[in-house]
Amino acid sequence: MVIWTSMIWTNAIMCRLEELCKLEAHQDRAWYVAWSPSGKLLASCGGDKAIRIWGQEGDSWVCKSVLSDGHQRTVRRVAWSPCGNYLASSSFDATTTIWSRKGGEFENIATLEGHENEVKCVAWAPNGSLLATCSRDKSVWIWEVTEDEEFECASVLSAHSQDVKHVCWHPSKEILASCSYDDTIKLFKEEIDDWTCFNTLQSHSSTVWKICFDVSGSRLVSCSDDKTVKIWQEYLPGNQEGVVTTGNDSAWKCVCTLSGYHHRVIYDVDWNHLTGLIVTGDGGDAIHIFEEEEGSDKNQPSFNLKVVVNKAHTQDVNCVTWNPKIPDLLASCSDDGVIKLWKYHT
Amino acid sequence: MAANFSGVLQITDLNDFITPSQECIKPVKVERRPGKVGKIRVDDDGSYISVSEEGSETKLTKAQITLNDCLACSGCITSAESVLITQQSQDELYRILQQKRDEKDENKKKVIVVSISPQSMASIAVKYKLSTRNTAGKLSTFFKTLGVDYVFDTTFSRNFSLIESGNEFVRRYREAETDKKALPMLASACPGWICYAEKTHGSYILPYISTVKSPQQITGSLVKDWFAQHNNLQPDQLYHVTVMPCFDKKLEASRPDFYNDIYSTRDVDCVITSGEVDLMLEKEAVVLSDLEDRCLDSFLNCEGDHEMRSHSGGGSGGYLEYILKYAVKELCGRELADITYKTLRNQDFKEVIVDIEGRTPLKMALAYGFRNIQNIVQKVKRGKCPYHFVEIMACPAGCNNGGGQIRPDTGETASERLQQVEELYKSLPCKEPLDVCGVEEVYEAWLGGRQSEKVQQLLHTSYHEVEKLTNALAIKW
Repeated sequence: MVIWTSMIWTNAIMCRLEELCKLEAHQDRAWYVAWSPSGKLLASCGGDKAIRIWGQEGDSWVCKSVLSDGHQRTVRRVAWSPCGNYLASSSFDATTTIWSRKGGEFENIATLEGHENEVKCVAWAPNGSLLATCSRDKSVWIWEVTEDEEFECASVLSAHSQDVKHVCWHPSKEILASCSYDDTIKLFKEEIDDWTCFNTLQSHSSTVWKICFDVSGSRLVSCSDDKTVKIWQEYLPGNQEGVVTTGNDSAWKCVCTLSGYHHRVIYDVDWNHLTGLIVTGDGGDAIHIFEEEEGSDKNQPSFNLKVVVNKAHTQDVNCVTWNPKIPDLLASCSDDGVIKLWKYHT
Repeated sequence: MAANFSGVLQITDLNDFITPSQECIKPVKVERRPGKVGKIRVDDDGSYISVSEEGSETKLTKAQITLNDCLACSGCITSAESVLITQQSQDELYRILQQKRDEKDENKKKVIVVSISPQSMASIAVKYKLSTRNTAGKLSTFFKTLGVDYVFDTTFSRNFSLIESGNEFVRRYREAETDKKALPMLASACPGWICYAEKTHGSYILPYISTVKSPQQITGSLVKDWFAQHNNLQPDQLYHVTVMPCFDKKLEASRPDFYNDIYSTRDVDCVITSGEVDLMLEKEAVVLSDLEDRCLDSFLNCEGDHEMRSHSGGGSGGYLEYILKYAVKELCGRELADITYKTLRNQDFKEVIVDIEGRTPLKMALAYGFRNIQNIVQKVKRGKCPYHFVEIMACPAGCNNGGGQIRPDTGETASERLQQVEELYKSLPCKEPLDVCGVEEVYEAWLGGRQSEKVQQLLHTSYHEVEKLTNALAIKW
């Protein structure tokens, strides 16, 4: 059944988000959904301590496996390795579990311990050899994956002064970004013998919940409890614009703030690497989609709202994520325990 | 000030940098008196007065939280911060010195002893561009001018830490043939690491930690037991101050294990850091290089041997090197001349492998800093630690880089300063602990031999798991 949910007119172009399906996924809050690198599987996690793997059978999406014995408390985040053979899950039980996919089965191969309390996020580096986690204990950890599937702690970074909400890797360089309840975004790189924070991005006036690089890695989008979305532009040393940089490090400047669109805290933002569209999910149960205006100046870009679905879910939208292979396919999940798949129409 | 603790403690405990006055969860004992409580009035000076129904007034006392309460609690260690300021600081030392000057009765005057760590001497030497030896002599003059009676070097006590560690290792190594849990042995000199292990890993890890006291605490025993006896003093007639490269040492000195119940006194009464000594020099407007060079005091009269000594094997005390050499000698009867370190994941994680005839090679490692501690701890927990001994230190680069060391000058990087401190630390000649004058004598005269029960009592300690509190209210999404 196809439901036409919502359409709006923006800049005289009609776009809409079509709800493709609704999956009653978790018996508690559904916290996060992650597409496998091939875009064929969707992993979800929630307050019911379970991880579910969803795949398409014919026209419908079905639950293929349930990984229920990995964690003792809420599973906050799941992340696929770039090769798609491993899944990492981080939990409020202070651990991160690594699952290996052999055939159709998932096997728990490692438990990463060390965080003092709730692990909020886990992310694989693009080359698959590093993993980052962050926690309410204010620290960001970097783990190295050894050849024999061991995970060793390579660094513990205590740059943030509060709960760290999210970590994500630069799409091509070994740069890690994190955001926190301390309202900042921090960038880390490996120096001679250890990782260090080389840049702190300040502009949000409240918790930064999520950050995401664009496909080039020269831009970053962030969303916050201050109800705004911000776009950050990288300026390399010696840039034409004359933005001051330090040493060999780039400077990052907030070049655009999207305010007035969201009326509640924005929990998630995702930058589509195929189309450039930005999607957000918020505490007002809504999903918004923004598009950059054609020919907009990179130093002062303009983004236009293309779609808003006000009652996308019946409760807070915790996660929105674009499929990595199918440009117009979007997944979302919510405190209502439901996952929805959407098709974006222009 | 909390930021001065080693990274391990800042990370573990984690997060709530609160002072006891704000959010401490320690239950306070309330003395209930019979009768009804009337009202409580707050006076202009902020004191609380309880007024009974009959109208009589009692001033209410504030709930006191001691450092011990903090250490025994799995709440927030960092609230120890404000407690430390009052209990262990240069201000407290000044207070004690003043008290001594004000005391008219000669017999009641406390004997004040200062024991300086070699890492602190190196740090102060770099700052004042002096040699380590000169620094020691001039610091001795400085403290004595302020009213201190004796100034010692904690290197002497480290001889005992090393010797005992060597013995314990060989004993554990032999036990490991039947008891798989006898090894690995993990070093015990770093209080940041001990505190972290007790609070975070408890029973999984504590049995592996060497029971040998740190040089600071052995100095404490030497001063309050041996030295006190020889000077016909009771332990509480001595006030013992140590100068350390590390804030965590303040926590160590405050452990109940190092408290003498009979005399109500600590083995180490007050710990001040290298940086705090520097603040004292500034306060007194003393130019250290202008001071006279005096010999440090020694626990024994060693004719003709006033040379300051050190131990080989790095700025954190040289535990790995001593234990390795001693073990090779004990187990295969040969001298190990050279030790080759192999750097692993980073500069703070190195291993040494030595072939010993007819057995699996001896494997030992240095693991400094939180990230390397993590990997060791996780491996030990899973029974996969490949090492027989690990010298664990909470600070990256070890004790010379402790949080209590003097900060670099403007324009100087932390690593440049550290390099200089390490050079000066290494500048002293090394001597094998058992060859040091007085060591044998102290074992015989004080402890009644190398294997005595007193050795266990005075040179060893134990660790205690801190139960975790889980507070559902503390959960944040």
